[in-house]
Amino acid sequence: MAISLIRRLIQALFVILAMTVIVFVGVSVIGNPVDILINPDANQAERLRLIAHYGLDQPLWKQYLLFLQGLMHGDFGDSFVYGRPALGLILERLPATFELAISALLIAIVVGLPLGLYAGLHPHRISSRIIMSGSILGFSLPTFWVGLMLVMVFSVELHWLPTNGRGATAEMLGVQWSFLTRDGLAHLLLPAFNLALFKTSLVLRLTRAGVQEVLPQDYIKFARAKGLADRRIIFVHVLKNLMIPLVTIIGLEFGSLIAFSVVTESIFAWPGMGKLIIDSINLLDRPVIVAYLMMMVVLFVALNFLIDVCYTLLDPRVRLDAKA
Amino acid sequence: MIKKIWKSAALMLLATAAVPGISLAETAPLTIGMSTTPTTLDPHEDSSAPNNATSRHIWDSLINLTGTSANEPELATGWKAIDPTHWEFKLREGVKFHDGSAFDAQDVVASLLRARDKPSQGFASYTRNIANVTAKDPMTVIVETSVPDPLLLNSVSRIRIISADCADASVQDFDGGKCAVGTGPYIFSSFNPGDRLILKRNDDYFAGASHWSDVTLRFLPDDGARLASLLSGEIDIVEALPADGMSRVEQSDALQVINGQSSRLVYLGMDVGRNVSPFVKAADGSALTENPLKDERVRRAMLMAINRPAIVDRVMQKNGTVADQFVAEGYAGHSEMIEPVGYDPKAAKALLAEAGYPDGFRLTLHGPSGRYVKDSEVLQAVGQMLARIGIQTQVEVQPWSMYSEAYPDGKFSVYFGSWGVNTGETTNPTVALVATRNEEKGTGRYNGGAVSDPEIDDVLAKASSTLDETERLPLLKKLSELTFGKLWLLPMHYENVVLGAKKTIRYTPRGDKYTLAYFVEPAQ
Repeated sequence: MAISLIRRLIQALFVILAMTVIVFVGVSVIGNPVDILINPDANQAERLRLIAHYGLDQPLWKQYLLFLQGLMHGDFGDSFVYGRPALGLILERLPATFELAISALLIAIVVGLPLGLYAGLHPHRISSRIIMSGSILGFSLPTFWVGLMLVMVFSVELHWLPTNGRGATAEMLGVQWSFLTRDGLAHLLLPAFNLALFKTSLVLRLTRAGVQEVLPQDYIKFARAKGLADRRIIFVHVLKNLMIPLVTIIGLEFGSLIAFSVVTESIFAWPGMGKLIIDSINLLDRPVIVAYLMMMVVLFVALNFLIDVCYTLLDPRVRLDAKA
Repeated sequence: MIKKIWKSAALMLLATAAVPGISLAETAPLTIGMSTTPTTLDPHEDSSAPNNATSRHIWDSLINLTGTSANEPELATGWKAIDPTHWEFKLREGVKFHDGSAFDAQDVVASLLRARDKPSQGFASYTRNIANVTAKDPMTVIVETSVPDPLLLNSVSRIRIISADCADASVQDFDGGKCAVGTGPYIFSSFNPGDRLILKRNDDYFAGASHWSDVTLRFLPDDGARLASLLSGEIDIVEALPADGMSRVEQSDALQVINGQSSRLVYLGMDVGRNVSPFVKAADGSALTENPLKDERVRRAMLMAINRPAIVDRVMQKNGTVADQFVAEGYAGHSEMIEPVGYDPKAAKALLAEAGYPDGFRLTLHGPSGRYVKDSEVLQAVGQMLARIGIQTQVEVQPWSMYSEAYPDGKFSVYFGSWGVNTGETTNPTVALVATRNEEKGTGRYNGGAVSDPEIDDVLAKASSTLDETERLPLLKKLSELTFGKLWLLPMHYENVVLGAKKTIRYTPRGDKYTLAYFVEPAQ
């Protein structure tokens, strides 16, 4: 376990390093941040001063080495736009995105898993067919459209829930959270549901497919023959075997929820990282883009590792050491 | 009898003194939905529109810049030029910062110098001529400029006055609230970057306390989110009302559209420098040996072919006003001598033939997408209109992050340009857009068409060093006449400021598009 952990860490470091190179080269090809950030009234001398201030007067390889040097000291550089450390900016917005992603994932599991189980166990019932058709909608409706519709119906027309923003927050573990206050919870509901819709359908369909694959297996028949209660068969034998593909997907999807919740965050004006990164890309705020992408790599590597740990708990045949 | 008079006088005095206190509602909240997001509360870090509009709520400047870019006394009660390079400002007595400390000349000195010396150089274009700032006495400040600078007052109106205690403070000190202490109409309450700024009324504001007890600035760059917040009644006034939502707002009983003209000019830039322009070809697609855009008749024909009233009305859904020169009426340098060019495709075709292009030519138009109001749609419409007089036009749009670098460098033949006339007078757009490019002098930075007209350069040099307003005004007009007489740029329109608001409030839009809570009034 320990060896595999270290191996993975080294792997991750290489991935991150590769990422910085790709991003650095990539971002430097498109446009010039100075042209976007500078006051149009500035003259040539002021322009050169700003270029030097951002360190853009250096050749790219030198900029990159300076960046790596800063990285050794845990410094990702200051944002061009905000004039503050890039990492701090991202971490400041992390809780909001995290909260949204976790809420969406919870909704996806709590709604998707039971429905999928039901549809898998009783595939011929009309209710199952309705569930399955519904899940197609969840798959195919674009997030931004659903988001706008949710706002139109529940906020603008019915006035049940607020249109956007994060609402009141309360502190827990030194971080501000929305779900601790009533107002915050009301603000959280629509965006979380919007973000969860696709994932719910995904979990639902995976669960149903898994159930149908597991049910005809010999060990289920044997368990039935042994006279085990349906409950035990479903929750221990069926569900446990379902979990391995499900955990993989849920884990990876959690990463994508965090990394790509941009659309939902924009529609609901949720002050998370997604909005920050889109703004930063539009303004060519290189330090923030690089820091964000590096964090995402770390996140995905960490998630994959956690998924593997879950495998060992779920399936005794899997061993991390052997696998690695 | 005398006693009685005294008594009634005293009573009246009491009543008048108490009026502001009574008329101020205990709770009168106002929420503004801004269409752009300020990056920081530090008022000297970056001179972008959202940052300056936001900082205006907490801080004051020496001079208040009105909605039409005129100068009004604010923290300075008066000013005069002692000699061509020295300005004296008399400061307002009895003004206090939100933390109770008194305002004096040291704060002004610290603020102006901080804005000048910040490494980000966000205010460089306003502070570049400031050589030194000194306090003559606690209520008088002398600003020394390196050259005679007629725009100094405008520059000073841009710079917010912070407490001298915060002269060395970092951006974080401002964002966290420690230094978010000004003399302005509202007191900092909390700031959530990218989300909202919450402010309280400053009851002791020297110009009179605001009507609004609690002001929230929400940052909602997403059109849908902003519109939904207005429709649901959560927000009182939103900036940049999306064109697609206008009909919904107009139909509503509780909401209104507020429309005003901004000082942002949209124009088509023309490559008039090169003898062969890269995106102009002969009608049959072969290369041309000359550049038709150098011919004034061709430029005029192109402008006559563009139905600008229709573009403003239909394509932009009334989000613009047809322009004929740098600034609209009411701004310094607007000239009545400039004949508006009307829509006349027939005459345009004739003029094109006269210039030697009876069959037109091929042209690619370039522009940004999503940067200005309906930019790519406007460009498409222009392309179709030019095609009608025989100029076969292709339109190519690029994201702003790529376009912004390319268009000032003369990469294109005809390009979509825009300039916010910050100073409300015409030297500002002339320096950037049509003055001969000279990197040392800092002129012509956005002159992507390589316009070079010695007469313009001459008049500009004179106007930029003349302090006397009566001498200067004819020069400002001359700049407009020279530029648009020869159509060095094709003027398209001024963008409008379109706000959506509840009917319970009133607001007069400003040329610079700022939405300032202090000037939002309750409708009677």
